[in-house]
Amino acid sequence: MILLKCPDVLLDSLENGHMVIDDKFIVSYWNRWLAINTQITKEEIVGKSLEEFYPDLNYKVLHRKIRTALTLSTPTFYDANSSTKFISINRNKVTTSSLSLMQQQVTISPYLPHENKVMVSIYDISELYETKLSLRKEISKVNKLNDILEADQEIIDKNIMMMKTSLNADIIDISTFFCEFLGYKKEELIGKNVSIFKSGDLPDTTYKELWDTIKSKKAWSGEIKNKTASGGTKWVQSRVTPILDENGEIIEFSAVYYDITNAKLLAELYITDPLTKLYNRAHFDDTINSITKHQRKADINFVLAITDIDHFKSINDTYGHQVGDDALIAIANTLKNSLRENDLIARWGGEEFVIMLKNVSLDEAKMIIEKVRASVEETKINNSISVTASFGLTKYIIGEDTHKTFKRVDDALYEAKKSGRNRVVVK
Amino acid sequence: MNIEFNEDQIDALKEFMNVSIGAATANLAELLDAFATMHIPEIDICNSHELMSRVKSTIDSDSMYYVTKQLFTGKFGGECMFIMSHNSAENLGKHLYNIRTPSEDDISDAVIELTNILSSTIISKLTQELDAQVQFFAPSSQFVDADSIINSDDLNHYSKIIIISTILEFEDQKINGSVYILTKDEAIESLKMLINKKIEEIYG
Repeated sequence: MILLKCPDVLLDSLENGHMVIDDKFIVSYWNRWLAINTQITKEEIVGKSLEEFYPDLNYKVLHRKIRTALTLSTPTFYDANSSTKFISINRNKVTTSSLSLMQQQVTISPYLPHENKVMVSIYDISELYETKLSLRKEISKVNKLNDILEADQEIIDKNIMMMKTSLNADIIDISTFFCEFLGYKKEELIGKNVSIFKSGDLPDTTYKELWDTIKSKKAWSGEIKNKTASGGTKWVQSRVTPILDENGEIIEFSAVYYDITNAKLLAELYITDPLTKLYNRAHFDDTINSITKHQRKADINFVLAITDIDHFKSINDTYGHQVGDDALIAIANTLKNSLRENDLIARWGGEEFVIMLKNVSLDEAKMIIEKVRASVEETKINNSISVTASFGLTKYIIGEDTHKTFKRVDDALYEAKKSGRNRVVVK
Repeated sequence: MNIEFNEDQIDALKEFMNVSIGAATANLAELLDAFATMHIPEIDICNSHELMSRVKSTIDSDSMYYVTKQLFTGKFGGECMFIMSHNSAENLGKHLYNIRTPSEDDISDAVIELTNILSSTIISKLTQELDAQVQFFAPSSQFVDADSIINSDDLNHYSKIIIISTILEFEDQKINGSVYILTKDEAIESLKMLINKKIEEIYG
């Protein structure tokens, strides 16, 4: 039996496996840790070849590593990442272990080079290796989730109209679908201000309400008419939400849109007179009924006017129905251009139009309608034909049935016609 | 911290490296039974963020690589990095394990063994020339794509690095790889002091 010159106490006290072997694999030292973990005692193995106990080891590789350690006078290593290639030691861990054999890091260090002896040190790195395996598993899960997220992001980008802006409403990000909807390329919009989409058809109050809401850290929902790259317009139902940081301060705004252009067109067709593009009678009825039903202070103070184009039948008879239609369109435009934006004008039927003048006294209304009458008189149909119109005017009395209001205004119009036409009569 | 090298210092380092590379070639031939050639090493001091571009300029960005790193510490400390393509590593596994189809574990172990011999020889010889001692740590190996060879976040901790690089070729076995010896900030200064001391010893 070959004995070590140094006492065993030191190596026996270590919590690692240590053996001394030579280049013929003869074991000359086997510490306590190895004896316990392999169930092979020092007395059984010392003086014998490792090959007798572990015939499956790759001794060609082991020999090369021993030679390297001895030649270079530095340690050589087995790959700690790969499955155990050195001696098999069972693991007794019962709870959640993915390793049945101990994962080892093996270092072969020169010990007594002149006797071709090396110290083989075995470190149990099973816990570390298990952590590495579970980390790898978690990373694989995260990667899978990232793949799903990326796929979802692509679906969102291609199918949902979204936009993210800075506090100053400069575009930070915008979905491909929204870009295509507005006819832009993404790179044309990133960094631009959202005002690029402003159609100019919405009152400033809409934008003010939007900004006031989102700046007070609340979400705003509403309909917006956007300008497209080609100069057209598109309606969107919008929801704009402020994004807050951990201190509750706004850092960005995000917005989601839904195309309502077709729905808007249909709704417009439903309430519009196809020839004059004024509102139709049904819409006027709905509006006046709603106002008188709810009796809201802001709406209830109005004057009703009805106008009828004088001698319209003779225009049709003399110049034909096409010119008659031209006359209706021209008068409709004159009314629109002469009245305020919030006054409601509709085609009442035939050559008759009805007007609701909001928040005016009867005297003020008479002055306005007189001006309108004069404008109609100046209007030339197809640059040559002059027409006039008669007007009846009355104020809605709060609480009365609108039939009475219409009766009064009809009477006023009748009187205007009867008393010579091209005039305004108030009742 | 002055980590710039003057011409004398660079020349001396180059000379020590040539001796080290020579020793490495001899050891590889003896231990692995393969005749290797190694190029004259290039020495470069650069900003740490430039390392990735230096490495990438020598490899095919679409391939997968075995990257083995071994740390060493002492008066001169740093990291020895060995980069080898999958094909070369497979050929190395075949040669060292003497089998036709080595497993991934065999290949990884073979690459680690080669790195171990290379770094041990080169660094030991270099530090022996500089009268310093070093301690080696167990090498670790990864199989990664070209972009993952170096994690740029890891390099943020350093300002300057010194790259000593060479190419290793076993022509008969169709194996080649790149060797990088990397050291940083304080270790560069320490290396410079060791070189100065040696120059003084030699030239008085």
